[in-house]
Amino acid sequence: MTRPVFSQAAERPQRSSVLALRRKMIDKLATGMSWLAMLIVVFVLGSILWTLLKNGLPGLTLSLFTRSMGAPGTGGGLANAIVGSLLQTGLSILLGAPAGLLTGIFLAEYGADSKLARTVRFVSDMLLSAPSILIGLFIYMVLVEPFGHFSGFSGAAALSLMAMPIIVRTTEDMLRLVPVSMREAGIALGAAKWRVILFICVRAARGGIMTGVLLAIARVAGETAPLLFTSLGNSEWSLDMRRPMASLPVAIYQYAGSAYQDWMQQAWTGALLVTVGVLIINIVVRVGIRGGRT
Amino acid sequence: MNENTMQAIASADGEAEALASAVSGRPIAIQVNNLDFYYGKTHALHNITLGFPERSVTGMIGPSGCGKSTLLRVLNRMYDLYPGQRATGEVMFSGQNILGSGLDLNALRSRVGMVFQKPTPFPMSIYDNIAFGIRLHERVSRSEMDGRVEDALRRVALWPEVKDRLQASATALSGGQQQRLCIARTIAVRPEVILLDEPTSALDPVSTARIEELLDELKTEFTIAIVTHNMQQAARCADQVAFFYLGELVEVDSTARMFTAPRESRTQDYITGRFG
Repeated sequence: MTRPVFSQAAERPQRSSVLALRRKMIDKLATGMSWLAMLIVVFVLGSILWTLLKNGLPGLTLSLFTRSMGAPGTGGGLANAIVGSLLQTGLSILLGAPAGLLTGIFLAEYGADSKLARTVRFVSDMLLSAPSILIGLFIYMVLVEPFGHFSGFSGAAALSLMAMPIIVRTTEDMLRLVPVSMREAGIALGAAKWRVILFICVRAARGGIMTGVLLAIARVAGETAPLLFTSLGNSEWSLDMRRPMASLPVAIYQYAGSAYQDWMQQAWTGALLVTVGVLIINIVVRVGIRGGRT
Repeated sequence: MNENTMQAIASADGEAEALASAVSGRPIAIQVNNLDFYYGKTHALHNITLGFPERSVTGMIGPSGCGKSTLLRVLNRMYDLYPGQRATGEVMFSGQNILGSGLDLNALRSRVGMVFQKPTPFPMSIYDNIAFGIRLHERVSRSEMDGRVEDALRRVALWPEVKDRLQASATALSGGQQQRLCIARTIAVRPEVILLDEPTSALDPVSTARIEELLDELKTEFTIAIVTHNMQQAARCADQVAFFYLGELVEVDSTARMFTAPRESRTQDYITGRFG
């Protein structure tokens, strides 16, 4: 009587151990694959950074930051390009962020699923994926050709068109994450809708919205194509945004394609500056998100 | 089992009678007449007629989806937020049918406050959570605001726990503390009616007990309507209990009578746990 029971009991652990072994193998395999994929990505990124550092660091001198661009062999720097990039990126965010924020708020809070909102959302997403050269050409048509000259303003306008859809998307997504109960609680206190949106929803989503703005800055700071037909580039020191204006990406583009040793060196260093700048923004975003969670 | 129910069961009819009249003897703060409610085409409430006596607790019980929360959301016109939801009938509050058009909803909601199932602290400091609601409806000086905030926090017995960190984020509080903060936020606006939608269902037993004690104090000043899934809670807190089933108000009576001698067999079945 006891024998069959025994044999059953002996069989069961055996069967499950085969299953467990298979599961473990699959687990190991999957883990190994994701490690491999991760290593490839990290290797590529590391290699880019390494090449940039190796080639860019030697050119990182004080005169790079104090002198404007000059002819080959004259010891010029990148000061005007750095300042030009800061000015154009800064102005583009000043223009693009409010518009993007308001549009995002409209899409999340007022438009919802209306036809207008769906259209705006579609257009914004199109803009998000539009080739940046097209945006440059568009601004060329409306802001450069009519005025007869290239300008820092038109560069900033092109960049703001790049930044806006990013901010629209993140603002809408972040506002949608704010729980309905929070809105209802505000309404239940007798607050008007705009107050609830501004002081409760936007506040609750501010970390994410800021992240969107910073990512937009990081994105446009490195753009070259929209600037080629708009701010053009300028080898002289200039803070006048009505005139052509230098920028780091355009300077890199110009210098990297040249045959001069010192220009090529500066192109590397300029690329290093842009990359480090973008990296810093990304790190700020990461730290900010972590800080915001607690 | 708890004292209230025990007593109620023990004293049976005699005292229950007295209690019922005690409740019904109060003036009615909100009178719902022939209310029908629709979510789009779904008919969620059928011809509800119910009075909420002033400065007492009305408990609303019934299985999920029976319409008790829906009724609560009619009383402060919360359903207005959602197109497709509509109510017909009459809800009289201080001489006015609040279902009528042209009503200042923000003013109504300042007089009929609401506390939700999940604590909903705003993403700001403890102090500002309370001040937010007050600032919506009144202009008060800094020092008066300090007093109002302290008063509201004292009333919900949260003051000793937070008085040293009023500027800290409200989201860092525990669930029970957050819910008491939400109640404080609601009473700081000085409403006449407070609606509570299962206010303790997300809380631990200790926090639940504190909030129930709180209700006992609050009802001396406010008219309270509470939706609850917890029969004991209704028995402990409410002066009158309304039982809803499938969008209908089956029965309403004093708490003692409701839990000892309900008239309807459906009520009897529900409170003895035969369904729901």
